[in-house]
Amino acid sequence: MPTDALAAQEVRKTYRTRGGPAVEALSGVSMTVHAGERVALLGRNGAGKTTFLKIAATLLRPTSGSVSVFGHDAIRAPDEVRPMIAVVPQEGKPFFHLTPREQVYSYLRARGLTRATAKAKAEQALSEMGLTEVADRLSINLSGGQRQRTMVATVIATSAPLLFLDEPTIGMDPFARRSVWESLRALTRQGSTILLTTHYLDEAEALSDRLYIVERGRVLIEGTAASLKQGIGGSLRVSVADGARLAQQFASFGSCVTDGTTLHVLIEPPRLSELLDVAVRAQLTATVGPVTLEEAFLRAVGRSIDEE
Amino acid sequence: MALPAPAFRGTVAFSAAESRVQLHEGVAIFSSMITQAVVLVFVWVLARSLLPVAVFGAIIFSMFTFGQRVLNEAAYIRVDHKLNELYLASPLTPESYFLGIAVGVLVAYLGPTLLLVALAALWVGFTPALALELLLTATAVWLFSSSLGYVLSTLFRDMRAIWSYAAILYNLFGVLPPVFYPVGLFPAPLRPVALVLPPSAAADLLQNALHPGVLTPGEVGLAAAALATASLGMFLFALVWARRTAQEA
Ligand SMILES: Nc1ncnc2c1ncn2[C@@H]1O[C@H](COP(=O)(O)OP(=O)(O)OP(=O)(O)O)[C@@H](O)[C@H]1O
Ligand SMILES: [Mg+2]
Repeated sequence: MPTDALAAQEVRKTYRTRGGPAVEALSGVSMTVHAGERVALLGRNGAGKTTFLKIAATLLRPTSGSVSVFGHDAIRAPDEVRPMIAVVPQEGKPFFHLTPREQVYSYLRARGLTRATAKAKAEQALSEMGLTEVADRLSINLSGGQRQRTMVATVIATSAPLLFLDEPTIGMDPFARRSVWESLRALTRQGSTILLTTHYLDEAEALSDRLYIVERGRVLIEGTAASLKQGIGGSLRVSVADGARLAQQFASFGSCVTDGTTLHVLIEPPRLSELLDVAVRAQLTATVGPVTLEEAFLRAVGRSIDEE
Repeated sequence: MALPAPAFRGTVAFSAAESRVQLHEGVAIFSSMITQAVVLVFVWVLARSLLPVAVFGAIIFSMFTFGQRVLNEAAYIRVDHKLNELYLASPLTPESYFLGIAVGVLVAYLGPTLLLVALAALWVGFTPALALELLLTATAVWLFSSSLGYVLSTLFRDMRAIWSYAAILYNLFGVLPPVFYPVGLFPAPLRPVALVLPPSAAADLLQNALHPGVLTPGEVGLAAAALATASLGMFLFALVWARRTAQEA
């Protein structure tokens, strides 16, 4: 059996701050990322995503639990793990006084690549990230999104076996985000494995083979985007404008969520025409669309918050 | 220290990038020399005969302030840029990461210090023995202060806190003790303190080389032993510390 790219068991982390109360950021997270997979970690702000990523990437010591990367102990033998990984840190910035070209190239050289390989890989990553035009401009003079692209280019250029990307596309325009997705897909085709976090659920859906939703330091749900969406009780969303006041009439069709005066009803296709009839009779406008991952996320996490 | 070849290759590449980054800060490089230049002007005006002592002191002081640059740079790229995460989660070892910053800063800032060395050659002239002693003491002070700077950099989570601490540290240990002025003018009961602090130990050893007899043989032994112990000890500690803090607690 081939070893998993990442296997985490019961990882706990309690931050102890001077003067302040201790913060339990992770309360026993277990997860597996198979070699060649793209996995997304989702969760609200403060859920523990960055904490988990840093522990897995040998940058933070957990309070307890174990993490292995390709069978090597990431906590006790970080030296064996580090050559196989690369990290896009959350809110990282390139060296302001290097150009993107120098930044990517010098990073690859520091990782031990030869001049020729580093040069070729840097050029390819810069072009994939659409940085060719600004490749010789100091990063201090780049826009926020261009800097973020430089950080991503630096890391994807490594084609490391396991890549950790913490909110890699933050601040990027829709074209740049799609370039990142394309590069990450290409990397996994060539054998790399990817664990990323994102708050863009369309990105998580477009990019990842599997998702973990983390909430208050625990894994709430694990599965594919499709299975998560199925889990919330319907594959279609009917949005009834001004329908919130008639929520009771629609309750029998499926689960209902109000959003201002609009009512969203999640249903399965066979009941669609029946529901539309009710809406037409009440002289309301209804829009039909597929359930999105965002809805699944809001429902799943919302339910868990309600239960607290 | 025996670094495996690939790790060493990474250090060179990383320190080259660091130097390049530092060299963009022309004003910082200029300002790194301003204290030394001002002190030398004061001495020129007030007591010209002390210029040889002061210029050697200025060289040692420069080596000492490189540690302050290491402190600033290591903290800045960690706190503001999170580049430590990029470099530490990579084949570059934590030791090489620390060394890369230290060497990168040295290369970028060494230029103006070499001007001071040229002045020293002009005013004093170098015997091979004096040149060797300068090389050894200056290296020891650099090793000590860069190691200390890196270790301290890991303790801060906010850049603003650093500036005030660094100013205290570098003035207290670099300006106050007899670095720029003769050790003979320092209060006698406190001489042992001056002789164990690395910057003044180095400067006073050089003063003794310029004017044999300003230190007793016992004091020479004390200063040399203290300097060697402090620089090697701090360097080894920084290597261990770099590895420990690569994985935050
Ligand atoms: N160094 C620290 N010291 C104390 N508490 C911390 C520290 N870092 C994070 N925390 C706390 O741990 C929890 C998890 O933080 P983490 O950064 O892992 O969240 P996240 O899921 O990445 O959030 P976001 O989506 O905002 O990036 C939060 O409650 C946070 O306040
Ligand atoms: Mg985060």
